[in-house]
Amino acid sequence: MKIRAHELIGTEPARLDLENVVVAFNGHAILDNVSFEVPHGAQVAVVGPNGAGKTTLFKALVGLLPLRRGQIRIHGLPLGQHKDCVAYIPQREEVDWRFPVTVEEVVMMGRFNDFGWLGKPSPQDREAVLRSMAQLGITKLARRSIGELSGGQQQRVFLARAVAQEPHILLMDEPFTGVDVSTQEATLDLLDELRSRGVTVMVSTHDLNMAAERFERILLLKRRLIAYGTREQVFTREHIAAAFGKQALILDNIVVVDHCCPGDEHDHIHTEETP
Amino acid sequence: MTWLVEPLQYAFMQRGMIAAVLVGLLCAVVGTYVVLRSMAFLGDALAHAILPGVAIAYLLGGNLLVGALIAAILVALGIGFFTRGGTVREDTAIGILFSAALALGVALISSIRSYAVDLSHIIFGNVLGVGPADLWLIAGLTVLVLATVFLLFRPFFVVSFDPVMAKTLRLPVELLRNLLLVLLALTIVGSIQTVGIGLVAAMLVTPGATAYLLTRRLAPMMAISAALGVAASVIGLYLSYYLNIVSGSAIVLVATAFFLMAFFFAPQKGWVWQRLHVQRR
Repeated sequence: MKIRAHELIGTEPARLDLENVVVAFNGHAILDNVSFEVPHGAQVAVVGPNGAGKTTLFKALVGLLPLRRGQIRIHGLPLGQHKDCVAYIPQREEVDWRFPVTVEEVVMMGRFNDFGWLGKPSPQDREAVLRSMAQLGITKLARRSIGELSGGQQQRVFLARAVAQEPHILLMDEPFTGVDVSTQEATLDLLDELRSRGVTVMVSTHDLNMAAERFERILLLKRRLIAYGTREQVFTREHIAAAFGKQALILDNIVVVDHCCPGDEHDHIHTEETP
Repeated sequence: MTWLVEPLQYAFMQRGMIAAVLVGLLCAVVGTYVVLRSMAFLGDALAHAILPGVAIAYLLGGNLLVGALIAAILVALGIGFFTRGGTVREDTAIGILFSAALALGVALISSIRSYAVDLSHIIFGNVLGVGPADLWLIAGLTVLVLATVFLLFRPFFVVSFDPVMAKTLRLPVELLRNLLLVLLALTIVGSIQTVGIGLVAAMLVTPGATAYLLTRRLAPMMAISAALGVAASVIGLYLSYYLNIVSGSAIVLVATAFFLMAFFFAPQKGWVWQRLHVQRR
């Protein structure tokens, strides 16, 4: 039995709670002693330089990477034992676009847990799928195979799937990178709607302006937690310098950050370890 | 039409035909995942890795297929074990275990003198030597594997397409991955008598790769792959009867002919279609 988001608001501990989380890959700590709390329905932008561990953080949150130390709790319960539904929208590079699957089938995957692994989708499931596709403007693409779509369309398919999942927590990895402006707008509209539904959202982005303008909370990460709070609290000279180092040029009141090649975090881990 | 019926008057041909059809079906369905998950190398490796199991079963006087089955499952799970957590890359683990098992198999076999004939049957297959007991085993494996693939269609679908999604849906991702390896091992063991370990990889990969060129959805891909696998087995066996060539080779060559036709003439993904499309632009 699924618990709807609104039934829980205000009655439970923080939705997402990390305590001294350490994630290591090949013996190197990618996330080091990260602790923070995300309340219900909050929308958090996760920013940081390449190799800061943004993708790693998300993968740890869905239980895809084992924790070396620490704890992740959702509604006060350890990962895997909570009832909340977590949806994750991967970076586009991580999806096998040659897989023989249509848009509709991908979105329907979001409902698999509702009608079970052997059952047939109910009328409500079909309706949820149609609604999600309509919301993201991809109804006409329903029968196309995902490999034939443009980058922006592909992203909308995965957004539609996440909506169909009716998640309590939504994690989006770099949804604003490499997509057209109308897909960015569709993504931002979706965020507004999710806010009204009380869905907790974490979005990683390279776009610091976007983070400052559209998110009430910002989490600045560089393998450890540099800062977490409002944009005034986070985007200070010290924090930016700590996170971006020489990539950031700080003039009187202006910060310029040089970002290269988003999306290839793992390639950058080693170069950053030998400054 | 007598030429169609004539070979089937022999009991060994009847058994061979049933075995070939079952194996064509089984390999083609499981092969869909082999193609989509880029496990062709793994399939080939598993096929060779069953050799020590066969040799030990022979030495102990047990059933050769049971020995093969145990060896294949051990190697499949061994690969899953070594690659867990990304310590060793999968193709590396496969390379190591596959060569080690093959070396062990050859070492054991070199100690047996009278083994040469049986060995060639294992490597190239001997569909006409399928006995009633073998047929029951092949039929049992086919039912078991196909039933698992159908019952777990959606979990395998999600795990193959998007493992991260599978994790967020709280599917047992590791268990499903290992189960798929076990299904692959069972399929290979069921196939060694018809096509042999040298050619089983072709039966796993070729029908699936052909079907991939003809459809854009998983379920139809499986159905087309199955139809092609069965057709290749039947046509191949008739060719083998009338041209007097090894049955396993004939089956694989027919499957390859299907693939070449699809590669050149398939709508949209085919070579000719793409050529025409480029010119029209």
